[in-house]
Amino acid sequence: MSDRPRKSIFQNLKEIIYGMAAHDMSRYAVRTRASMEHLFILITMGDLLGIPILPPYYSLRLLPYVVPQIATWKRRMLREKDVSDAMF
Amino acid sequence: MNTLVVVIAAVVVIYLAYNFYAKRIDRDVIQANDKKATPAKMYMDGVDFMPASRNVLYGYHFKSIAAAGPIVGVITAANLWGWLPAILWLLIGVSFIGWASDYSAIMVSVRNDGNSMSAIAHKLIAPRTRTILFVFIFFYLLLVAGAFVGILAAILAARPDVPFGILMLALMGLLAGQMLYKMKMNLVTVTAIVVIVTLAAMVLGPLGQTKDANGKLVQGPVGQATVALNNAVNAVTGNASLYSVVDPTNADPRIPAPGADGKRASTAVYNADTGEIKTMPSYLFWALFLLVFSYLGANLPIWRFAQPVNYIGFWITLLTILLSAVGAVLAPLTGIKDASGAAIGAFALPALKDMGFALKAGAAWQPIWPMLFVTIACGAISGWHALFGSVGTARQLEYETDALPVGGGAMFSENTLALLSLVAVSIAGAGGGGGRFAAGVGKLVFAGTFGALPEAFGTALGFGAFVVIVLTVVQLVFRVMRVTLTEWVGEAVPAVKNMHVSTIISMVLTLALVLSGTWVYLWQLFGASNQLMAALSLLLVTVWLKSEKRNPAYALWPMLFMYITTLAATAVTARNLYVTIATKAGMAAVSVGGAWAMILVSLLLIVAALMIGYDGWKAYQRYGQGATTAAPAPGD
Repeated sequence: MSDRPRKSIFQNLKEIIYGMAAHDMSRYAVRTRASMEHLFILITMGDLLGIPILPPYYSLRLLPYVVPQIATWKRRMLREKDVSDAMF
Repeated sequence: MNTLVVVIAAVVVIYLAYNFYAKRIDRDVIQANDKKATPAKMYMDGVDFMPASRNVLYGYHFKSIAAAGPIVGVITAANLWGWLPAILWLLIGVSFIGWASDYSAIMVSVRNDGNSMSAIAHKLIAPRTRTILFVFIFFYLLLVAGAFVGILAAILAARPDVPFGILMLALMGLLAGQMLYKMKMNLVTVTAIVVIVTLAAMVLGPLGQTKDANGKLVQGPVGQATVALNNAVNAVTGNASLYSVVDPTNADPRIPAPGADGKRASTAVYNADTGEIKTMPSYLFWALFLLVFSYLGANLPIWRFAQPVNYIGFWITLLTILLSAVGAVLAPLTGIKDASGAAIGAFALPALKDMGFALKAGAAWQPIWPMLFVTIACGAISGWHALFGSVGTARQLEYETDALPVGGGAMFSENTLALLSLVAVSIAGAGGGGGRFAAGVGKLVFAGTFGALPEAFGTALGFGAFVVIVLTVVQLVFRVMRVTLTEWVGEAVPAVKNMHVSTIISMVLTLALVLSGTWVYLWQLFGASNQLMAALSLLLVTVWLKSEKRNPAYALWPMLFMYITTLAATAVTARNLYVTIATKAGMAAVSVGGAWAMILVSLLLIVAALMIGYDGWKAYQRYGQGATTAAPAPGD
């Protein structure tokens, strides 16, 4: 069995209501933010894909700030997608 | 029969099915394991792959699958065959097929790196399966949109007390988006304002309604304004209909329910002697109104309109469901009676009607098998759930053992929504289609509030909830259709990449189907495509289980039943369209054109399903002979 913490009935109910009412809204907000971030990384770190948009000097200056995002960015960019990904 | 018996039967069946069948499959066949890392954990990117609590995910999955399907299908089926076949199919279907489809689609995706159904089909069955699935999905969406816009346009044109609430819903949606995202107001405050105003607008619709000396309904001020608008629109053609259509199954929402003598009365748009339904300009006007509403939902930024409208709709629907559920339990216990003195908890609809097996030349054929199984789609089993589960839910699953409470649990919950709709339809004495449902909700709300909320307001709430549920789905469907069309033909026809162009193409196709007038065929064709998609997802599960050397029986037999049943139902619908409209003398050109279009769609669906079935069978045999990998793609 998992070692998940026990929750009160009120807490469970609260989560269910949130799931029904607002989870899709927060997911969409997160997706929008991610799209913006990916665009930013593409502009600043285009060299990683062979697209030198920004002079390398500035890319290197920005690199430390972008490092935490790169793994996720590459995974999302390279993951196989189809219509159903765009649907939900 | 009364409402409490249905509630008890549902509780017992769902308890047994969940605890003694679903849990056994989860434990012995799928062997869900808490210790295995799910894609949400392995590939966590904070966006698509992100673990969520199972409670949140249950709510999210339920909200995404529970839409108009479990309501509209049940209403139509109960009117065609009676309430008993409907309740039996709902309970048996969900126990042996429905939960298995939802749950398995999630688990297959979880065990395949969170890939979508089409990607897994590409890998496990055959490369072309993915392409066929895309074609399938587009026509499926077209049929959903056509069926839902058709039923809503009929309700808005026939019920002057409904449109005001919907108009206010649109305005409140815009306002909520502005208040939440631009003005950064508190969510609770925004919710209170927009939900209360929308509810008040829905109640204002029937406010002031009276009956004249002849018992005829006289609208209140809001209703009269809508009647004046309808009259002004109809005056464009001098109150003449644009054309007439005939629905041989009498399931069109514009056809009134039969009276106590079993005969249907003529109305402004229905001729009881000839069976003709007049397509008035006001019907076209409300269909266009819905398309404009959906256009906003499909093309405005999602936070601006679609999401807030869905959010308001959620609260209205939740309120209606809760009050109705309480009413269904309380009505037989308290013995509360309606305005006519009849007990509210008692069923007024006959348990059984004609099973429809007799085949008459030139007439529509509605045999209970296979037609019941496509008329009631959601609530018993649905392909949409599998599609959504494999992409939306599977990627957020924190533990494998959450798949059953989330996927199976949400499916069983949706089944209770369908049963509640059945109860509402069955206890209502009068009205047709959505009207019967709303009247039933009115009675349940009356009983659930111990008579505090009059039936007329409960009925308005029922209508409002019904329209809101359908409308939120329609705008989502157009958004998805736009994306699908762009992905599908965008490369070949660059103009379609423009979102306005792709939306308008989708809407024109939908309007063509709606105006063909054969609503019930549209609905049954949608049901067939939905069930075929469910059968195809079960086929995928079967092939996957075979490839994993597990026992596929729990998915194989339901798959075979759904596959054969829905292919037969699609063929019967095509036959009905051909006999009763396409080749019948005296039919309006628009109806004939619409019928041929739907026959074409039917044939396309059948061919696509046969191709996937053949590929699935080959893959099943391949894995049975010990293969461990899929067939190579052409050119690999």
